[in-house]
Amino acid sequence: MSGESAKATGSRSSLARVLSALSDRAWLLLGLLVAVGAMLPTAGLSGFYLTVVVQMYIFAVLALSWDLVGGQTGYPSFGNMAFFGFGAYTTAILLKDWGVAFFPAVLAAGPVAVVFALVIGLAVLRLRGGYFAIATLGVLLVSVQLSRNFEFTGGASGKILFDIPPENTFYYVFLAILAVEAAVALYLTRTRFGYVLNAIRDDEGRATAMGVNTTYYKTAAWMLSALFTGWVGGAWGAFNTFVDPQTAYNLGWNVELITMALIGGAGTVAGPILGAFGLTLAIFVVDTVFPGWQLVALGLVIIATVLLLPDGIVGTLEERAAAMEYYEMGGEAAADSSAAAADETPGSSDPDVGDPEVSDS
Amino acid sequence: MSAETGSESEADAAESGVETSTPDSEIESSGDPILRVEELTKRFGGLTAVDHVNAEVREGEIVGLIGPNGSGKTTLFDCVAGRQHPDEGSVFLRGEAVTEWPEHRIAGAGLGRMFQHTRIYDGMSVLRNMLVSASEDRTVARLFRPPSDEARERAEELLKRVDLWGLREMRAGRMSFGQQKLLEFAMLLMSDPDLLLMDEPAGGINPSMIRRMLDYIREANEGGVTIFLIEHNMDVVMDVSDRVYVLAHGEKIAEGTPEDIQSNQRVVDAYLGRE
Repeated sequence: MSGESAKATGSRSSLARVLSALSDRAWLLLGLLVAVGAMLPTAGLSGFYLTVVVQMYIFAVLALSWDLVGGQTGYPSFGNMAFFGFGAYTTAILLKDWGVAFFPAVLAAGPVAVVFALVIGLAVLRLRGGYFAIATLGVLLVSVQLSRNFEFTGGASGKILFDIPPENTFYYVFLAILAVEAAVALYLTRTRFGYVLNAIRDDEGRATAMGVNTTYYKTAAWMLSALFTGWVGGAWGAFNTFVDPQTAYNLGWNVELITMALIGGAGTVAGPILGAFGLTLAIFVVDTVFPGWQLVALGLVIIATVLLLPDGIVGTLEERAAAMEYYEMGGEAAADSSAAAADETPGSSDPDVGDPEVSDS
Repeated sequence: MSAETGSESEADAAESGVETSTPDSEIESSGDPILRVEELTKRFGGLTAVDHVNAEVREGEIVGLIGPNGSGKTTLFDCVAGRQHPDEGSVFLRGEAVTEWPEHRIAGAGLGRMFQHTRIYDGMSVLRNMLVSASEDRTVARLFRPPSDEARERAEELLKRVDLWGLREMRAGRMSFGQQKLLEFAMLLMSDPDLLLMDEPAGGINPSMIRRMLDYIREANEGGVTIFLIEHNMDVVMDVSDRVYVLAHGEKIAEGTPEDIQSNQRVVDAYLGRE
């Protein structure tokens, strides 16, 4: 190995080591994040800045929830805001019409969204790729229309809520939802359940042929996604003191939450959180400095992400580390064992090429 | 195989015009049938891809399935594995009719499938590919727990056996085609199958790798896995198989030992003669 390539490999090794160390300490990092978050209000953060942080938590939950289905399982949903809206309306109706207390009303929002997800999931989870995406968008649009037409939802006027808890309570509710969801997502990625979701994402046909009833796993991921989205929607409904179809099923947020997950790195736990924090901050900054230009900035960020970071920030770092693993471990294996013989026939690196008789009936 | 079943098979063969080169009763390795296919027919519109095929694979055997391109071999495997359902006929796994079972249920009953085009989980590490394939982890109780130590030990053992242990943390999609083929084979062994359907295990890999794959297939067979394989490489089929079925235009045209098949004029005319 030349000195230059050795140096290059050395820098890649460092990246792999850093990522590995961070992964090993994921629980510690999550704990630190929650601890720092919990101290912010007591450290004097309030008013506008506290609202910005709350918004970061809300989007982190939304992006992470989307990622359970869109990133981890490979089913890109465009209808997650329907769960958010269902959660918001559930809390609003329970608070205003049923006289239920704040916490039970918010808690109920999650299960209601889950039931809705189960019913919808039985139909849409049979679809894949673009068809699934369009079907979920249809679910969202139908939800908007239904909420607008029903009387018990307040129709187009929506519902105004009074007697809600102080801002600090909401802050801790959103932080708690994010902490629990991040912990659940982190744990699941290390279990058989999480592995199977990734297997479905990579090759659902192979997973089925290995004995996995993928319908159960997809539905479970979809319901889990709905649970946290419903909870954050429920809390948001009260936090906003006003729930109507346009705000509860915010189509702009629907795009933003997906963008955040993609920018951070779909299919990872850290990615959607980083993407949500970063993009929320960026939007607030743009909106403050150049009022009215935030959507233009968002559009540019989406285009830049697709072109420059198709795997997102965390995904790109992992891909770089994986590339390093390929060069290092592949070379080592070739030298140490007969794995070199496992290489493809020259000229047939593509499995479809090089075998003249690969097609059968 | 029972004498009664053997007689039926011979009668079927005589009736359908299939040349049974060696009577079943004379063939070594006569365990109970693990797979039985009866009058299996699959049509795609006006095309009959598989036409009333009868076949049987007995426990402990390595059985080859050969035939020209488009002869219905992969379609037959698809019907056996539940990927497609036949229009007529039945599939029995250990005597139980599984014809209408969904694919995942058939796989759960002990049937593993190696595809013509290698199929692994590209985005996951080599080790995770193995761990997600572990048969013990199919229970709901284990669903929300990390893989067991036993599964990790088994994965290590199998990856070492196929010389991929050194690549365990590598993203599987980054490996070469040959390495992916080995990984797919190891994943299938990880799922602890009773019967393995292998669609062209020697396809697209170099001669050295083919020899290794043959050794692994034999090792797996000696370890108790029954093998039913499609292969175009005649040296491989004739070397490894106890018996061979031959399909042409969806019909079974011959069955017997490798030696018999090689000297069967109908097979030579329909398939081997073209080589």
